Order: sequence, then C-alpha cells, then structure tokens
Amino acid sequence: MPEPLADERAFLGELIGDRAGAWDLAGELPLDLLHKAGARGLLCAQVPASFGGLGATSQDNGEFTAYAGSLDSSLRSIMTSQGIVAYTVQRFGDRAQRRHYLAELTSGKLAGVGFSEPGAGSDLSSMETSIEPDGDGFVVNGEKKWLTGARYADYLLILGRNGDAAAAAMIPVDSPGLEIDLVADPMGCRAAGHANVRFTGIRLPASAVLGGGGQSLPMLFTTALSYGRMSIAWGCAGIIRACLQAAGTHTRNRTQGGVALAEHQLVRRHLAELLIAEQTSTRICEHASRSWDSGSPDMAVMAVLAKHTSAGHAAGSAATAVQLLGSAGAQDGHVVARAYRDAKLMELIEGSNEICQLILAEHALSITG
Amino acid sequence: MTAESTTSAATAETIRHELLGFLAERIKTTVEPEQDLFSSGLVSSMFAMQLVVHLEEAYDIAIVGPDLKLDSFRTVESMTALVLRLKDADDPAGDA
Ligand SMILES: Cc1cc2nc3c(=O)[nH]c(=O)nc-3n(C[C@H](O)[C@H](O)[C@H](O)COP(=O)(O)OP(=O)(O)OC[C@H]3O[C@@H](n4cnc5c(N)ncnc54)[C@H](O)[C@@H]3O)c2cc1C
Repeated sequence: MPEPLADERAFLGELIGDRAGAWDLAGELPLDLLHKAGARGLLCAQVPASFGGLGATSQDNGEFTAYAGSLDSSLRSIMTSQGIVAYTVQRFGDRAQRRHYLAELTSGKLAGVGFSEPGAGSDLSSMETSIEPDGDGFVVNGEKKWLTGARYADYLLILGRNGDAAAAAMIPVDSPGLEIDLVADPMGCRAAGHANVRFTGIRLPASAVLGGGGQSLPMLFTTALSYGRMSIAWGCAGIIRACLQAAGTHTRNRTQGGVALAEHQLVRRHLAELLIAEQTSTRICEHASRSWDSGSPDMAVMAVLAKHTSAGHAAGSAATAVQLLGSAGAQDGHVVARAYRDAKLMELIEGSNEICQLILAEHALSITG
Repeated sequence: MTAESTTSAATAETIRHELLGFLAERIKTTVEPEQDLFSSGLVSSMFAMQLVVHLEEAYDIAIVGPDLKLDSFRTVESMTALVLRLKDADDPAGDA
C-alpha cells in the first residue's frame, strides 16, 4: 500500500533536511520555508479538496504530523496552529468565509490562533477579549498570550466574547491597533515564533467574524482545541519516534565497559520503555483519529485521551533518551535535547496534564452508572 | 442506538424524545425541553462539542457556519427545530 501523503512527506523532509537544530539555536524558522509548505497545503492537510486542500483524513494527516514532529516540533507546532485555524473556519465560517480563508490557508498565507489571556489560561471561560458589533462591522479589544506562529502569521484567529455569547475573528496582522510582542527565549519549540498580542479598538468588516459570531464559547474553544489536541498527540508520537531512533542508534554504536551500551541490561530496559511509549502513543492516536474520521460523538474526549497519553510519554521518553545519550545529547539543538524541552511544554498546552485529567475524570463518571 | 431508528422518519416528537434520552444518558440529569442547557451550566465544554457531532451523526446533517450559533443549541426545543430545518433544506450540508 503506498503511504498516504508520501510525496508531501518527501517534500517536507527535504525542506527541513538537517537544519532543525540550527533553527532551534537561532530561535527562528525561515519564512520562505513556511510559505512553501503552506502553499502545498501541508500545514493544514485535512482541508477538503473542494476548498483547495489535500483532503487528508485525520489518520493520514496524523502520520504526516508525527513525521513533522519527529524532525522539528517548532514547525510541527506551526502546523498545529494553522490546522486549528482552518478547522475552525471550516466549522464556524459561512460559505463565503470558508471559500475565502481556506483557499488562502492552503496557498501560502499563515495563521496563528489566540485563546489564552493573562487571566485565562487553563480556565478559558474567563476570557475577556471582546469582539463586539460596531456600525456595520466589529471592534476588537483585549490581549492574548503566547500565540504560536504569530511572528510569521498573516492572520490571527482570535476568540472572544460577543454579547452573552462568543465569536472568532480573523484579524489581519497589519490591522491598525494590533501590537505583537515576541516571547523572548521560549524554553521549547523555540523557533515557533510565539508572541503576546494586544488589540486596541481594532475595526473589522463583518466578513472577518466567523459565521457572524453568536457562538457558544465552550463549543467554540473545544472545537478548535480538539483539532489542536489531535495534532499535538501525533506530534508527540513523532517526538517519541525521534527519541527511540536516536537512543537505538547511539546505544548500539557507543561502547563502554568493553561492550556496546545496548548490551547493558539497564540500558535495554530503557529501550523497551521507549518502544512501549512509541507503540502506546501511536495506537491511542490511531484510535482517536478513527473516532474523528467516523464522526463519533466521543471524538473530543478521545482527542484529550490521545493528547494526554502522548504528551506524557513524549516527556518521559525525551528524558530517557537524554539519559541514554549522555553527554552526546546534552547540547541544545541536538534532537534529544530539543525533544526534552519541547515535550515538556506539550504537557502544558491545549489542556495541561491536570486539565486533561479533569476532563477524563468527568468522562469516567459519565460512562459509569 | 435510539438515533438510528429515527433517521428515516424524524419528526419533532421523535427528535425531542431521542435528544432528551441522549442528554439523560450523557449528563445524568433529566432536562425539560425548554430548559436553557448552557446558562444552567449543565453542558460542559466537552459535551457542547459532543452534542454537535451527535446531531450530525444521528440525523445525517452537517451543522456548520451560521447554524452553529449558541441559540440553536440552548434548549432541546431549539435543537429539534435546527435538526428539522437542516433535514428539510435542499442543500443541508452546504458545501462543507
Ligand atoms: C509552547 C507554547 C505554545 C503556546 N501556544 C499558544 C497558542 O498558539 N495560542 C494560545 O492561545 N495559547 C498558547 N499557549 C498558551 C497555553 O495555551 C497556556 O500556557 C495553557 O493553556 C496553560 O495556561 P497557563 O500557562 O496560564 O497556566 P495556568 O492555567 O496558570 O496553569 C498553571 C498550572 O496550574 C494547573 N491548574 C490550573 N487550573 C487547574 C485546575 N482547575 N485543577 C488543577 N490544576 C490546575 C495547570 O495544570 C498548570 O499545571 C502556548 C503555551 C506554550 C508553552
């Protein structure tokens, strides 16, 4: 069976080459590379073909995302953001908005997404940014934190309050009243271009607010986050694969005590654990993608389960890989050093470990009598 | 699965009945057809999305764009009206 998205995978592999370490050290991705990947629809591969996208299933985009994650979590996190924006437009946009924005998002325009605020991290229901009607358009006021990819973006999809409901607005980054401050020295996904953004009286035409606004805030952010959780879950499976690969190669080739490291039993146990982590994460991601592709009502919960499981395994596997490589991996830019920093942050975002556990506990209660 | 059997001949009555059953099963609370599910805090953020996907699956409709407004989901009555309207529409799935 030919691998789905095989050409896209080869294209992405070539674009990245062996440069991910250098981008991590520089804290920046080449903008032309993002435009090239975007123009082939790679950053949001699930956009249907009728809108100009690759029309990938969650499963196929998942494997593709894992591949990206195994090479470079900064670039993978840009894919996650672009994919969230595309999915949110696809669900909440009206017909004209879907056509317009999805065509742009699959032809090179880049977008980030803003949920988090100074007072609203884990608790998104306390969001204060407002997107209110003003004349025949809307006006946006507020502040968002840590937007992945904001440095490179053409648009920011911003969630906010809209009367007693909520809205999501596509804000061009050159809008008067928009201020972007880069987050200095992020611990992980260093080249992903995170920024804090402030909106002061930004005026938008009605066509920039998805579906005209008036949505339920929880429905809006859960829909957007669910796509993000799938993407992060698969991206973390990729991190684990990169760690397994690095640890396997290193322990076979490095000799200590007269034998290869891999001949030491305590080392072998680490290798077994890396394999278990890789398989567990992959299978749970596949399960969540099947729920997604079949439109199961449980898809949002399965996305949380997959994200939580994969992120935890990625953080643990990265620590194991750093351990096994010793000083050989103990330098920023190295694949396992990046994995160690990047994976830890995956336990924080789009539902921290604790928030995922709360959601899963709620689900446990709902399926038991 | 109750929803399957309602797909072919869904009437306001069968949809309302099925939805009340789905809610009772998932949120473990008996709700009234006119009760505001969102302002009463009965609907968690996870469940808000499950509700949309459930309606799409059970009634073979696509709920996108302006149909995803809060007001369409506030009560069992408003969801019933939404389902009936989308099932009757000539082009229910839009171009999603
Ligand atoms: C690399 C990276 C990329 C990001 N990209 C984006 C982006 O693109 N867009 C965006 O909007 N945001 C983004 N964020 C922000 C991210 O979504 C938030 O950091 C995240 O939601 C957590 O919020 P917080 O940092 O305010 O932590 P807090 O909410 O303050 O949480 C701190 C700690 O308290 C725990 N905690 C909080 N509430 C509870 C509770 N009820 N019970 C138990 N424990 C609890 C948390 O689990 C966590 O461990 C990004 C963050 C990072 C690190």
